[in-house]
Amino acid sequence: MQSRRHAPVSEDHGIDLAPMLDFCINLLIFFIITTSFVKEAGIPVLRPGAVTAEYRQSGNLQVAIRVNGDIWLDRQRVDLRDVRGHMERFHIERPEDSVVIIADKASKAGVVAQVMDEVRLAGIKNYAIAADPNAAGS
Amino acid sequence: MRRRRDQGHGHESSHGIDLAPMLDFVINLLIFFIITAVFVKESGLQVNRPTSFETENNEDSKGISIQILDTGEVWVDNRSVDVMAVRANVERMSAIKPDAGVLIMAQENAPTGVLVDVVDQVHLGGIYNITFTTTQ
Repeated sequence: MQSRRHAPVSEDHGIDLAPMLDFCINLLIFFIITTSFVKEAGIPVLRPGAVTAEYRQSGNLQVAIRVNGDIWLDRQRVDLRDVRGHMERFHIERPEDSVVIIADKASKAGVVAQVMDEVRLAGIKNYAIAADPNAAGS
Repeated sequence: MRRRRDQGHGHESSHGIDLAPMLDFVINLLIFFIITAVFVKESGLQVNRPTSFETENNEDSKGISIQILDTGEVWVDNRSVDVMAVRANVERMSAIKPDAGVLIMAQENAPTGVLVDVVDQVHLGGIYNITFTTTQ
């Protein structure tokens, strides 16, 4: 009789999961809000430095331009003519995204201009040239 | 009879819903978002490209024009200047024409590093309305 009265206690799982669940859901919400699905260029590029460079809130489409004029987008090398198509697709998926063009210090300004034009033709008005505020003056 | 009563009592003492499956699900979601979260903050400089309409009207008289040659030389006002001197030139000319924008005309093969340096200098000079074109 005595032991049977205590049985319900052991049937309970021992730990109250509710506070842990609250904590987990809070963490979850935090990560959902802060996550931004960055499309990385996928290649290291020597960025030029600039004192006045400002952080881009949603600069999460990265286009890298290498010294030899190669354009990298979403971890793959693309042709200049394909940049527009890719950008249009990304723009439809997440319209508020902006583009950061990561051009190598020694890359040609002509390629940068062409990429900017392609990005603009894809309908993205918000684009910038990447610059590193910490590497300024070098 | 007695057993049934005991079981009923047991159900009452647990909280009614079993939270464990929901917790599993939430933790899975959490791990997914932790893994996919990328804390990359990209910094950059915003420059405009001329629209076809503007290109027609871009006279030197309208704004300050800076040329960058293939060699990385910077020309302001038909004079070759050092990159670091661009700021002073821009400040002087913006004092004359306060609401003028800056037009940067870079040759196709001009290095981007110089371009960014010039944009930086113009920003330091107080002008954020920069248009960037390339010439042959």
